Amino acid sequence: MDYYFFIDLIQSLVDGLLFGTTYALIGIGFTLIFGVMRKLNLAYGAAALAGTYVGLAAAFVTPLPPILVFFVSALGSGIIGYIVYLGCFRYTPSSHPMAALLASVGMLLFIDELVIHLSHGMPYPYPSVLRNAEITLGEIWIRGDMLFVFGICVLAMVILYWLLYRTSLGLATRAVSQQPRAAQLCGIPTGQVNALTFVISGVLGGTAGAMTAAAVGVLSPIIAMSLTTKGLIVVVIGGLGSIPGAIIGGLMVGAAENVFQLLRGVTERDIYVMLLLFIFLTLRPGGLFGNTEGRD
Amino acid sequence: MEFYLGLLQILGVHTLLGLSAYVVLLTGQVSMAQAGFYAVGAYVAAMCTAMFGIHILPAVIIASVSTGILAMIVGFPALRVRGLMLVVATLAFGEMVRMFFFNFRWQIERDGKLIGPNGAEGFRAIRFFPENGWETGDVALFIWCIVVIVLGLLWWVDNTRAGAVLRAVGHDEVAAQSVGLNLTTIKVAAMALGGAIAGIGGGLYAHTVTHIEHGVFGILLATFAIAYPILGGLGSVFGTLLAVIFIQGFLVEGLRFIGDWRSLLFGALILLVMNLRPTGLLGERMSPLKTLFSRKSPVVTNAKETQ
Amino acid sequence: MKLKNFAAASIVTMMAAMPALAETTIKIAGFGASSGVVGIFGQNSSAAMQAAVEKINSEGGVTLANGSKAMLETEYYDDRCNAEEGISVLRRIATTNAAIAVGPTCSNVAEPLFGILQAKVDDAGDTGLQFPIFTDVAIKGGLAGISEWVFRNTPSEATMYDDLFAWLRATYPDTKTIFGGVEEDFAHSRFTWYSVMKAAAEKHGFEVVGEGQWLLNDTNFSNQARAMRRAEPDIIAISAHPFTTCGMLREMDRQKISPKVLVGLTSSSSLETLTGCANEAEGLIIPTSFAPVNDAAKYAADAVAAKGGALDLHSAAAWENFMILRDVINAAGIEGTAESLQSDRRKIRDALGALDTVEGLLGTNKRLPDGEAVKPYVFVGAKDGGWAVVHNPGS
Repeated sequence: MDYYFFIDLIQSLVDGLLFGTTYALIGIGFTLIFGVMRKLNLAYGAAALAGTYVGLAAAFVTPLPPILVFFVSALGSGIIGYIVYLGCFRYTPSSHPMAALLASVGMLLFIDELVIHLSHGMPYPYPSVLRNAEITLGEIWIRGDMLFVFGICVLAMVILYWLLYRTSLGLATRAVSQQPRAAQLCGIPTGQVNALTFVISGVLGGTAGAMTAAAVGVLSPIIAMSLTTKGLIVVVIGGLGSIPGAIIGGLMVGAAENVFQLLRGVTERDIYVMLLLFIFLTLRPGGLFGNTEGRD
Repeated sequence: MEFYLGLLQILGVHTLLGLSAYVVLLTGQVSMAQAGFYAVGAYVAAMCTAMFGIHILPAVIIASVSTGILAMIVGFPALRVRGLMLVVATLAFGEMVRMFFFNFRWQIERDGKLIGPNGAEGFRAIRFFPENGWETGDVALFIWCIVVIVLGLLWWVDNTRAGAVLRAVGHDEVAAQSVGLNLTTIKVAAMALGGAIAGIGGGLYAHTVTHIEHGVFGILLATFAIAYPILGGLGSVFGTLLAVIFIQGFLVEGLRFIGDWRSLLFGALILLVMNLRPTGLLGERMSPLKTLFSRKSPVVTNAKETQ
Repeated sequence: MKLKNFAAASIVTMMAAMPALAETTIKIAGFGASSGVVGIFGQNSSAAMQAAVEKINSEGGVTLANGSKAMLETEYYDDRCNAEEGISVLRRIATTNAAIAVGPTCSNVAEPLFGILQAKVDDAGDTGLQFPIFTDVAIKGGLAGISEWVFRNTPSEATMYDDLFAWLRATYPDTKTIFGGVEEDFAHSRFTWYSVMKAAAEKHGFEVVGEGQWLLNDTNFSNQARAMRRAEPDIIAISAHPFTTCGMLREMDRQKISPKVLVGLTSSSSLETLTGCANEAEGLIIPTSFAPVNDAAKYAADAVAAKGGALDLHSAAAWENFMILRDVINAAGIEGTAESLQSDRRKIRDALGALDTVEGLLGTNKRLPDGEAVKPYVFVGAKDGGWAVVHNPGS
């Protein structure tokens, strides 16, 4: 029994870490918007989900290979990200962060209901790759499709890093995030940079949504809320605006969730995860990599 | 008539939920824990009446006091963090409470039936009102008496020095600290007051619906709690009241005749209102700091502004 | 765009209401979730109600106490599966001229809703609402007992699963062990596993070798599936709604778990499970109170499909309820005037309560004294992307 327990623990950890990469992607999207605009976008999870449905809809129209479905999902989510920007952030004054926050709640409810309205709330199968492949290391199984998800997530992060630190666009983004006023004075079009941030984070969210759907194999509007919550949690653990923080935060949440499920069962799992989060936040208010200010 | 009285009950209960978030929002904190306090209030009050046969009034008071104390205990560690961190910390607390009631089981036998919280299946037969001969109108009146008292109390607090202090903290913490205000005390006090109000709301809610379960007290409810005061505007308590009427009266009940489109319009209209009136339906009160620094009594200045 | 739809919707509503004014009509209100995640249930029920009303009216409507004929009309109210809204909707219905209401969709709405009704008829000390309800969908066990104003036409899961496991015992004599998977935070699925399936399985000599739990919006089932694989059960029972049923089935497929028999939750015997994961669901056996097995059932299924809905075990109950109510109204002798509304409601309630048996789509439904029903049922299995009857206990 002890042997099994040990194996289970490692297996849970591995599964959790792999799943954690999707949380990390969602978290990066959140943290990017937060880093650049200092605003919270609660419609983010819903937009990611809607984008995933766009990919699925495309696959209904013409049969597409899974990779293209993922790509269309990411793209669709990017476009929806731009719509969210226009609807919630472009025209609400920056002096009233609450207005943008609540507008994004309205957007969340609207997108969610729209998706449900169009899909009738039915779960639909979502394609995945390497579904039946797996690597076995002794007693430990590693799912092939999860490894693929892991790979895509890592790739998305690498591209993001390249974009942020190796291109002039990234320079502008970072400038706006550090000193919006000064950036504007240097001739950087802050409005465009903000809009672009939403598109990029939308693409990340869409990728995460697609990967989550691919991991389950089924897509349902039911997961929008949990995507949002997980993303938020990941962001604060990592530290606001910190991309490495979001990555580590995502992996931590994924692993913690799965291990607590093994140890305490599914009904108590979330109590312990939330308790850890609460304690963590009060002891380290800035998160792992953030400043201790916890500013907004 | 029955229907409108029932609607009044819903409006009253939601107004209390909104007001509980309003108090905390005045200090500049966005708390997602209100649904958690609301849940505790609902379960405590329901246990008092359904399991131990206590009258509704003391039951609601017990619920309110216990959630107030709970909010104070949570407030100390939670208010170490600010902004988004606080949103998530309080959200974590709210979810913890929900998951607690998901696992909470304590039933006693009354009249040959098992009564009490039964984990995931919820807590049924909280029928104090119908069993004691209260008509729908009586319940609505009872709820609104409480709402009016709470509204009046908050309005009064708002227009005294205490209100100015709360707003000062919300407006600029550093400035407020520099004039000698104790941030922790003020924030924790606001949290406790908000918690107590949420407890009353929850206690009444449990009795209007007769059955409660953990699923009701989720993130969506917590979001609505903060949505009411933000949508209504933080200028005065009446903003929250107006927002509750707008959301529950107009968006939920008023638009019911358009069928499935109602749910689509729901989010879209909230979105629209926030774009058109970013400060909320009734707007916000300006320059709280001025009232604090001015030599005149803050009461006088505030009274002028509200007129 | 929105304004246009809005205007169009109001015009359509008005036009629909027009002809109703011409003659005496008896209104039967429908309510439940027709938007939100479970909106599809309400949409199907609503379509079934419209189709049923059309059929009844084309056959002459209902007879009133004075011998004159009256037409039926129906309107569907959306409660978004929210308890407060459900109560509000019912109060609204009670202020209209509706004689009775059919609904709701969700058990978590039904439970509080039934609580605000008068618990015992003629109990003057109980000020609960006095309005009859005839539930079509909300299926969680034992709810009708909350109030004497409530009747349900939902299948008795206890009976169905008891018979299912008896049949499994006889059909698969070499199966011995069972593993249960349960969606823990949904009242109905939870109740069905712990109080219905598990009890029935144990009663018929199956040994429960393990349980796996998950939540409504979980996406990772690897731990639960691993426990299943270790337990090597002959039968796996999944008490969950389509989304997680599919997620779990996929994970089982991935971990190459293939039990001899797969048993599912009644609510999953719908189109949704097949849309979500037809391949993995292959062989899933579910007891259900509806399948298009005879002419009446096929006719109803076509009529509802013409209204844009699908007839499954839930919406079939809505159809049956209207047919039952036609007979009840004919027998009760109601007057159908504005003044007689409250006494008409009472008459309908009493007539419903007096029923012992009624004719349903699959045969005779037994009515129980506490307002519940025992309906005929069949066992269906997922086969080639559709539901096929694997066993019909009634034939």
